[in-house]
Amino acid sequence: MKLEISVHEQACRGCQMCVDVCPTKVFEFDDEKRLCVVKHEDDCIACLSCAYICPSGAITHTGYHVVKNFYRDLAFCNKMEKFI
Amino acid sequence: MDRMSEISESRASLQETMTFLGAIASGLEEAIGESANSISYLAGKRLGTRLSKGIEKTDDVEQALCSVRKVLLDNGCLWHFEAFKTHDRPEMVMSADDGQDINLVFRDCMIRQTLFKFGHHQKGSLCNMMFGFFSGALQNVMGHDSTLEILHAGENACYKRLVIHSAAAREVL
Ligand code: SF4
Ligand code: SF4
Repeated sequence: MKLEISVHEQACRGCQMCVDVCPTKVFEFDDEKRLCVVKHEDDCIACLSCAYICPSGAITHTGYHVVKNFYRDLAFCNKMEKFI
Repeated sequence: MDRMSEISESRASLQETMTFLGAIASGLEEAIGESANSISYLAGKRLGTRLSKGIEKTDDVEQALCSVRKVLLDNGCLWHFEAFKTHDRPEMVMSADDGQDINLVFRDCMIRQTLFKFGHHQKGSLCNMMFGFFSGALQNVMGHDSTLEILHAGENACYKRLVIHSAAAREVL
């Protein structure tokens, strides 16, 4: 499954925090619309820092690898064992 | 004991060990500051050197990384990484002033999970253990020193720059 990023245009307040935090410069700021746009989706490493930092919760990722939470919950590990 | 409970049990003990290590690292950082980084680095380097003993040598960076990945997998270490190239980077492996460099993405990482569990910050001394591990393993595989710099420590992945310092690059420096 390919990773996809979407920015909710109505939610974005144009603070550019995602532009600053992204290590691979995935976002660009659209001066005309005064909001950020996804420019280089293929460069996203799915660190999710932009989604965590966005004050409006405007950024969503799909099709990415979620880190394994093995070290948090043994019951979860037991359940997941058959899938991994 | 069946295989599943065996795995669960070894994960539980690994979880405990990592939790313990996290607490020690955080305590060390408070007590001795910067020196905690060197201690973690050396511990990682010793581990990398020991686990990659007798490994096949190569001069090819990407092949060397495959060997390091195999060492980690063979030893049940949850430290998965992959080489990563952004659209504006001409080659995966590039020559830089300080040697050959390549960017790596670390996804599943037992250190990150441990740090989050107790609210410790990333990029601390425990993260230096991976730098040490690579140094030790790559010294065995390629015969060169290396540096693993954290470019970005994220919630779901980390981005790092690995530099293999060739003898020629060291002379220039
Ligand atoms: S961090 Fe959120 S609100 Fe700020 S520019 Fe990016 S998407 Fe818009
Ligand atoms: S997940 Fe990380 S790499 Fe991807 S767009 Fe957000 S900050 Fe950039």
